[in-house]
Amino acid sequence: MILTIVGSTFALLPPAIAARMRSEMSREPRIHIIQNMDNQSRWKAQQANPLFADGRAMRLPVEGTVARSEIRIDDHLERGRIMMDSQEVWATTVPAGLEIDQVFLNRGQERYNIYCAPCHGWSGLGDGPIHRRAQRLVDGSPSESYGTVWVQPKNLHEQMYVDQPIGQIYATITLGARSMAGYKAQVPVEDRWAIAAYVKALQLSETEAEQELDSATDDASMGGE
Amino acid sequence: MGRYHYVFPKWSNLLLPGALLFGATFPLYAIYVVAYGFSPATTDVGYMPKQPIPYSHALHAGELGIDCRYCHNTVEDAAHAAIPPTQTCMNCHAHIKKDSPLIQPVRESWETGEPIRWVRVHDLPDYSYFNHSVHVNRGVSCVSCHGRVDLMEEVWQEEKLSMGWCLECHRNPEPHLRDPSLVTNLAWKFDGEAKEETEYHAKLRDQFAINPSQDCSACHR
Ligand code: HEC
Ligand code: HEC
Ligand code: HEC
Ligand code: HEC
Ligand code: HEC
Ligand code: HEC
Repeated sequence: MILTIVGSTFALLPPAIAARMRSEMSREPRIHIIQNMDNQSRWKAQQANPLFADGRAMRLPVEGTVARSEIRIDDHLERGRIMMDSQEVWATTVPAGLEIDQVFLNRGQERYNIYCAPCHGWSGLGDGPIHRRAQRLVDGSPSESYGTVWVQPKNLHEQMYVDQPIGQIYATITLGARSMAGYKAQVPVEDRWAIAAYVKALQLSETEAEQELDSATDDASMGGE
Repeated sequence: MGRYHYVFPKWSNLLLPGALLFGATFPLYAIYVVAYGFSPATTDVGYMPKQPIPYSHALHAGELGIDCRYCHNTVEDAAHAAIPPTQTCMNCHAHIKKDSPLIQPVRESWETGEPIRWVRVHDLPDYSYFNHSVHVNRGVSCVSCHGRVDLMEEVWQEEKLSMGWCLECHRNPEPHLRDPSLVTNLAWKFDGEAKEETEYHAKLRDQFAINPSQDCSACHR
């Protein structure tokens, strides 16, 4: 009788341990009893490789070399600059090969919402959630802001930016501007043009909305219908 | 005395049925313990390694609403979802809380060029092949495979990532499909009747002609 009780108590232990492991988070590496070929002597993207001094399995390009897809010879595409009357100026159009249509603008909108909206806001007014949080830190007690310094992301509807040619907006996205970082590493070149085109469209829609509003108030003040 | 020399005590009558009962139940018990105890649900799910920096998805992706692709920017184009380089953190942390002790390792990495050594959470065996872009561009959301990352302070493994788990969805992907523009919106739920939802999923499947492969060579190449 005692044997049965002791036996079944012990029998309950393994499932109890397993149930506990299921219900809890674990800091310890996973237990794989049968390893098979789980870890082979090759490296996955972004893994650490002890063979190299910097520990990166993915190698950086050798200094002074350029990957084939990264040859910057098209100034219009890569830098947003064109030659006009033997002077270099900001491009006012998208480069050849790209076309501003609904698909391109939709792409631009999607990318803008991912990469720009956190700071510049969804409608470009410079009031994104990151700005609001950073401003709160600056306004709050210095012991909690840990040295936060913050310049408000620009309102993209300011006349200055409405007047900027698309090539200059593109260059800002690529290289950044003063305290704004560049997005060259995160956003591929076509997408940067798509974002620039979308910013232009956004400015236009705002201007149109204002004009409509203006004419509506004009109508109202003239007592017209 | 002689006649009673070899008589077993009375309780020994129980031995035979006891042994039979044990013989019948132990294999069942052993199978149960192995299936339950060695399932990836026990050994793998809930793995939450300690990261070198207490970076919080709940804050950045949840509260501040930064899109997953701001940091994991290769997820739509490549097999792997890139862990962001230090530069990405510095876009903001060059200004925000730049003197915080928690940000210090980021700045050090920035100044020395040494990468931050994040600890890998999800890790398939090297003999299997996985690709993010095929899933994400077909409208399978991160949430189907990683859980509500936008609510996690620290990332843990939410799903089993076993072959059976992959196949479960490859056999019936419909309930996991959504408009591809919604894949990084982890909180999204279909808004409507159950019947409309079924139609919505079926329509998406038709639209993209989705037919996930169950051939061994798709995932073991
Ligand atoms: C991390 C926050 C942040 C993000 C994300 C961000 N910006 Fe900015 N942006 C700023 C700040 C801050 C400034 C003001 C810089 C200054 O005046 O020092 C700025 C300025 C600008 C300017 C004006 C530059 C000039 O010539 O004065 C443009 C245009 C602009 N951003 C566009 C974009 C676009 C397009 C994106 C998306 C690819 C983007 N920004 C993403 C913070 C950000
Ligand atoms: C501000 C940058 C940032 C954003 C935004 C972000 N992540 Fe991450 N993510 C990271 C970093 C850094 C790591 C590595 C450290 C860790 O595991 O916590 C990571 C790790 C992960 C991992 C674990 C990777 C592994 O090792 O297996 C998953 C899964 C993940 N992120 C999913 C998401 C999802 C889903 C979203 C959108 C809701 C998202 N991330 C948004 C920066 C980001
Ligand atoms: C788009 C802007 C942005 C990016 C990119 C970003 N962060 Fe943050 N981070 C913030 C904001 C805003 C806070 C919140 C500050 C607060 O209110 O406490 C924060 C807070 C933090 C904190 C807590 C700091 C403290 O002292 O409380 C850590 C740690 C942190 N981030 C790490 C990272 C890492 C690592 C990365 C890169 C993978 C990263 N962040 C990328 C905006 C960003
Ligand atoms: C169909 C399932 C599935 C979906 C959908 C999915 N992931 Fe993953 N993810 C995985 C698996 C499996 C791994 C482990 C890959 C490996 O070990 O090679 C992984 C790994 C990762 C990693 C670690 C780096 C890597 O690639 O190994 C990150 C970061 C990540 N996922 C982020 C995301 C984000 C962000 C999304 C949504 C945009 C997403 N994942 C959607 C299954 C998925
Ligand atoms: C939540 C659903 C879901 C899960 C879980 C899932 N997949 Fe998929 N998988 C899909 C869908 C949908 C497709 C796209 C099929 C199509 O386009 O016809 C796909 C396609 C693929 C493809 C490309 C197949 C081809 O035709 O070349 C591979 C490889 C793949 N999945 C591997 C995996 C692996 C490995 C896992 C487990 C770690 C996994 N998947 C888990 C839904 C899923
Ligand atoms: C949808 C993707 C997918 C398909 C299709 C698939 N596998 Fe797998 N398989 C996996 C993954 C992922 C693993 C690793 C699971 C793990 O971590 O235990 C795996 C593991 C295995 C293992 C090792 C199991 C172990 O635990 O040692 C074998 C053997 C295997 N697969 C054979 C096959 C065969 C045979 C087929 C065709 C009938 C097949 N697989 C089809 C994804 C797949």
